Amino acid sequence: MGALGRFFKDINKNKAMLIMVLPATLWFIFFSYLPMAGMVIAFKEYRYSRDGFLASIIQSKWVGLQNFKFLFSTNDAYIITRNTVLYNIFFIVLGLVIAVAMAIMLAEITNKKLAKVYQTGMFLPYFLSWVIVGYFAFSFLSLDKGVVNHMFSWFGIDPVNWYSDPTYWPIIIVVVFLWKSVGYNSVIYLAAIMGIDKSLYEAAMIDGANKWQQIRNITIPMLTPLITILTLLAIGKIFYADFGLFYQVPRDSGTLYSVTNVIDTYVYRGLKSTGEIGMSTAAGLYQSIIGFVLVITSNGIVRKFNKDNALF
Amino acid sequence: MIRKKRKFMPALTLMLVMSIVLSACGGGKNEGEGTAEKPVELIWYTIGTPQKDVDKVMKEVSKYTAEKIGVTIKMNMIDWGDYSQKLQVMTASGEAVDIMFTSSWAFDYVQSARKGAFMQIDDLLKEHGQGIIDTLDPAFLEGSKVDGHNYGIPANKELPAQEVWRFNKQYVDKYKLDISKATTLESLEPMLKLIKENEPGVYPFAVDKNQMPNVPYDYIIEKLPMAVSLDTKDYKIVNVLDTPEMKQALNTMHKYYKAGYIPTEAATMDSMTDVQTTGKWFSDRATTQPFADNLWSASYGYPVVSTPASDALIYNWSVMGSMQAISANSKYPEKAMEFLNLLNTDPVLRNMIDSGIEGVHYKKTSDNVMENLPEAKNYDMPTFSLGNVMLTYLNSTDPANKWEEFKKFNDAGKEAPLLGFNFDPTKVTTEIAAVQNVKEEFWAPLMTGTVDPEVYLKRANDKLKAAGLDKIMAEAQRQLDEWRAANK
Repeated sequence: MGALGRFFKDINKNKAMLIMVLPATLWFIFFSYLPMAGMVIAFKEYRYSRDGFLASIIQSKWVGLQNFKFLFSTNDAYIITRNTVLYNIFFIVLGLVIAVAMAIMLAEITNKKLAKVYQTGMFLPYFLSWVIVGYFAFSFLSLDKGVVNHMFSWFGIDPVNWYSDPTYWPIIIVVVFLWKSVGYNSVIYLAAIMGIDKSLYEAAMIDGANKWQQIRNITIPMLTPLITILTLLAIGKIFYADFGLFYQVPRDSGTLYSVTNVIDTYVYRGLKSTGEIGMSTAAGLYQSIIGFVLVITSNGIVRKFNKDNALF
Repeated sequence: MIRKKRKFMPALTLMLVMSIVLSACGGGKNEGEGTAEKPVELIWYTIGTPQKDVDKVMKEVSKYTAEKIGVTIKMNMIDWGDYSQKLQVMTASGEAVDIMFTSSWAFDYVQSARKGAFMQIDDLLKEHGQGIIDTLDPAFLEGSKVDGHNYGIPANKELPAQEVWRFNKQYVDKYKLDISKATTLESLEPMLKLIKENEPGVYPFAVDKNQMPNVPYDYIIEKLPMAVSLDTKDYKIVNVLDTPEMKQALNTMHKYYKAGYIPTEAATMDSMTDVQTTGKWFSDRATTQPFADNLWSASYGYPVVSTPASDALIYNWSVMGSMQAISANSKYPEKAMEFLNLLNTDPVLRNMIDSGIEGVHYKKTSDNVMENLPEAKNYDMPTFSLGNVMLTYLNSTDPANKWEEFKKFNDAGKEAPLLGFNFDPTKVTTEIAAVQNVKEEFWAPLMTGTVDPEVYLKRANDKLKAAGLDKIMAEAQRQLDEWRAANK
């Protein structure tokens, strides 16, 4: 029996399984793998052809790495990379710590009704769009009508022109991000905590472990696989910045760019008027490749320590 | 499972290749269409807030055009803010479009033409667009050429651009101000001071982030600091931020900002629409056209008066302020041109597209005067974007000589030095992307007077230089010199 025969036999044997993964496989083929061929645009000076999209790709001039240049050509290249990576590191670390802490606290609340209220309250901001969040922030930070400056005036503090003073923005950005995202992540961790076998806690209590010891020795170790996976996935996106957060929340204020300009906003501002598709594709490709390398590396590190916790 | 997945790869690859091949096929052309019995459908994308009755009106329009030239019309409106981006994506992906709106300020005409979004219409225009050639001021077709060819039909409207100071008449009357005294930016000061002192809660000088002081320069690319002086002899491109006029204007703006004449958050305000609705402003600057005061007063609901702030000049961007182009992949380019020709010459069609169905959306009160009916709110179109405005019926409030005044205004316009020159940025795209970022960082804070020009002008210039402004300027200068040599 040749290789082909074995192939069909394999298919036959796993029919049920294969049919189950078929929808997801098709989805990935059409929306993730097929479009990947479009990466070639990153190396082209994209011009339109009247015979449609594919003809445009084929007929456009090959320019090599020319399209990637604008990402590295100025001092801004350093600033946007620094901002993107540093913010994301803060988001990953703080997001993890706070979300897990919240999840544990929610799980420990005995009044279940109250726990639901807290949970919903934290979850809600996740569903707001950045435009709305941007206006929320504006109602706090507006120079003459904002809540914060209003409160300052009660205590005789001079009003701060928030939207033209970069000093406070690293903190504002992180706080706004956490406010919006922590609820969602803590729900994921809460679900994992709910799935932990209750008999573990019972056994610990019989042995005389207090709450803190239970959390440290049961809850957190049981959460570690999930924490690792979610963190690995987040690391893969470390070169992507949340456009809405960095564009809408600081109201696109020029004086704040030194602390709010990230790769995504830089690409948008640089290309919105020229509409060079080749250059924006190049930026996206660059982000994906770095993300890919980082995921592989960090996954490799995780594997070294604990094979079971690694993604693959 | 992983092993099995690997074996799937050849099959996956095959599918991938197949679907690419399949999508490349398809399409084709049907012959013998385009008559009253068997009309062809033209797909038309245009700018503006989508209106409820578009399909209803287009059904009537199609009846008329099917009979006249054998086409039916499917109009798609895309809202102001989305238009550029959506059309860029649509043309890049080769979506089926026949006619589309393009301009200097939305879905950039010159760049899109160079990228190949539009059909070159030099010959089509001669064969099927004679009516357009006859009605349009020649400056329109001449000024909208890209590398020597026409790619779009400009709407016949005001040709030059003139800046004016606008005033909320309520306060002009209350304080008995003489607005003719307002000429330069500096001359506004006494009035602004008076309003600031006596009218708390009113913005004396309503400036948003899109505003910039009016300086006598013609820009190579709008809002990038490269320009030539309006009365240039040698066509030398300069950095506008280095010119004495701009420095003076920015100092004045900063003085006004510190004095509280300008909204504190001007640098991050997208528009003044809210302020205009409430009427809590005293003055601002805008681009005018004949009888613009009437238009503004009608749309704000309170009287607005204006006085000139600059000469009327014909710029590239004013010539290309509103155009309709034929898509490069249109299946029926001749029919599309016939339609555009009819749209720009036939009052019946033009007014149907503009105001809707007679008796439903509007009624005629005399030969060329109409009145909106209540249904007009479901079909409220931006007149200037659709074609020849001088064919449209007058409103009862319009002066009878409105279009004569337009013609006079157009004839009086002087040509700006760069009229007809279009910069090709292909060789410096990297630098332009970097310079755009620097510009975005400094432009609005500087232009609105929010920051001190003494400090920030130097910072901006240093960063612009580092980003490659000099290289772009050198390239622009080279192209400009070539263009002048060719057009002498």
